[in-house]
Amino acid sequence: MTAQTEKQQEYKFSDIIADPVIKERWEKVRRYFFLRESTYDMTNRCNVRCEGCYYFTGEKQFADENTDPTAWQQLLEAEKKRGITFVVLAGAEPSLVPQLCEVCYRVIPLGAIASNGLKPIPPEIDYRIHISVWGNDRTSLAIRKAPDMLIRQMANYQDDPRAVFVYTFTPVNIDEALEVTGLLAAGGQKITFNMFSAPVGYNGHLRHTSETLAKTRQVMIELLAEFPETILFSPYNIVAHTGQKGLHELFSCSYPRMNPSTDIGLGRSFRQYRTNLQWDRDAACCVPDTDCDDCRHYAAGSAVVTARMYRHATDPVTFSAWLDYVDTYLAVWVKGYDKGRNLCNTLTPPPNN
Amino acid sequence: MNNDINQTITRVAEIIINELKLEDVTPGTFDADLDLVDEVGIDSMDLATIALVLRDEHGIRIDEDDYPKLTTVRIIAEYIDNKLTIGE
Repeated sequence: MTAQTEKQQEYKFSDIIADPVIKERWEKVRRYFFLRESTYDMTNRCNVRCEGCYYFTGEKQFADENTDPTAWQQLLEAEKKRGITFVVLAGAEPSLVPQLCEVCYRVIPLGAIASNGLKPIPPEIDYRIHISVWGNDRTSLAIRKAPDMLIRQMANYQDDPRAVFVYTFTPVNIDEALEVTGLLAAGGQKITFNMFSAPVGYNGHLRHTSETLAKTRQVMIELLAEFPETILFSPYNIVAHTGQKGLHELFSCSYPRMNPSTDIGLGRSFRQYRTNLQWDRDAACCVPDTDCDDCRHYAAGSAVVTARMYRHATDPVTFSAWLDYVDTYLAVWVKGYDKGRNLCNTLTPPPNN
Repeated sequence: MNNDINQTITRVAEIIINELKLEDVTPGTFDADLDLVDEVGIDSMDLATIALVLRDEHGIRIDEDDYPKLTTVRIIAEYIDNKLTIGE
């Protein structure tokens, strides 16, 4: 049965979660509703320079760099006090300042680090680590100016349960995803998918088109079928991130940058700190300086789609698709959370608000 | 009317206590004017869950845009009664 046929019937939420499989997944994911995230640029420096990098767009790259561990500790303690339970350390390359990452970990032990994976992050910092992959090593050399990236990334994080590789689909690397996923599968690694989302003003060849979105969708479907144990993704992730409409148009982005409400949810609690430990509400989202109309970023979706539970609780299929998305989000971001099998294997359309 | 709103307040408090697994409070002792975000610590996902239970019970839709307004048990109860009155 599809969502469309099921929607002819109106469901109560209690009826939807009366299904024992749905109920079990619902109870599994709702235990993590306590997560409240904020993100932190750790340093202005990076050891590679990638075309289309969101960090080196806009003003944040010019913020002074605070390298004082005491200042960071005080910031994180204040963050914890105001209810932040999950940190995302990103920008430009956190592995270059492991001492600051460790300070964060000591104060708030749940979190994730976005890294290019070229410099191993010490094992004491037991966060989830997202290692960015932008194609095979020929493409990485062209776009990121770094040789043998995947080989080095895999070597640095071999058998490391913290690691999740994040493959960013651009128009020029769609056909390389099979090769990369195969290598990671053979290496026993986990991978999830991201979509290149153009920074404001970017009109280069990495911006997706209708055709490349459709092609990416097809490739993701094929890969998910071939590597279900390796890929942390679901059919609903594919729908949400490869649609002709971006995340904001589909789900109404709830980050402060697009959400004026300060009463509840991300609009209230989320901050994006720059390296000077300051933040700007008008620029606050997980990928600042991204063109919101083009945003299909995996980190954005993790919060934006997840936050829209109510509108997905219309019927068992749509709610199952949403549960798959949340299950994927938690497996990608929370170390130690194991993803279950996807409950919904059809491409379920996003609900109307 | 007062009796109705008091019944709704008690029921909303009961749902919040059950869904959030709050301890040391009963529907009868729950302060209906307590700020749910600042003083109870609920977030948007908690509120969405509560909204779904209320939808089941009353057959009303609670718009996502209205969540920020629903800051106390009393306000939620009045919101429900208002929706029921206008026959949504």
